[in-house]
Amino acid sequence: MLRYEMLFLTVPEITGDEIDSIKSYFQKSVRSAQGDMLSFERWGKYRLAYPVNKNDYGVYFLTRFEVELENRDALLKDIRGSYVFKFNHLIVKNMICRLDEKASLEYKRPESLEDTPHDIDSFLKKNDMEGLLKPKAGFRGKRAEEKSIIGGVAFGKETKVAVPVTAFEEEDELEDFEDNIE
Amino acid sequence: MTKKIKLKISARLLKKKLRKDSAGGAKHCRFCNNPELVSEINYKNASFLRKFLTERGKILPARISGNSCKYQKMVAREIKNARVMALLPYCATSY
Repeated sequence: MLRYEMLFLTVPEITGDEIDSIKSYFQKSVRSAQGDMLSFERWGKYRLAYPVNKNDYGVYFLTRFEVELENRDALLKDIRGSYVFKFNHLIVKNMICRLDEKASLEYKRPESLEDTPHDIDSFLKKNDMEGLLKPKAGFRGKRAEEKSIIGGVAFGKETKVAVPVTAFEEEDELEDFEDNIE
Repeated sequence: MTKKIKLKISARLLKKKLRKDSAGGAKHCRFCNNPELVSEINYKNASFLRKFLTERGKILPARISGNSCKYQKMVAREIKNARVMALLPYCATSY
């Protein structure tokens, strides 16, 4: 079995019904080629790096499927034909990639606009305000100084407590010694 | 005369040393002997690939990023793929 993935970009105004129609079409075509549909994921809405068809935003989808070598060409031709003729008003860009079969299916993707919080409530829930409220976080230089001072104070107290006691005793002894001489 | 020539050479070498030290030592490839990082090189992982772009959206040369030839080629190929999918810019401008 050969494993493939397809990433495609759609217009931002895509509706749920249109997504379902695309998904069902892919499932049908993969099934007819005796392959397996592994996943169909919606990444979310993104701000594009450059405007595509006068759209600044877009929605990404990632599909993964497996096919035998014999039916591969027919399936890929079918899929390519679908977004040229059928979904040409929805799908703007696409990329089909061959995947390694032994490699894991995990991947990393950039954060979408839906993942990043917009409301104040979600911002507060994440507890990002701490850095703004506490003045310590603002100045890195000051923070380091404070830390070092705290360490120094703790060390100094112990030594200060210990040293003067012995010093006084010595002085007293010396005074006594001087008195005795006189 | 001979002394003068020797002095000149030593001064040049000193300057060379200073330049090397100021840059923080020799550069090394971050992907060599690091298979976990190599697996992150993918056209979908645009936020990772953004490290290898300049402010204007150009691909950083290996001379600056320190990548070895093998991984520089990989990174460049994936950046070009991500540009096709509008995940990374061809040319960074405010639009």
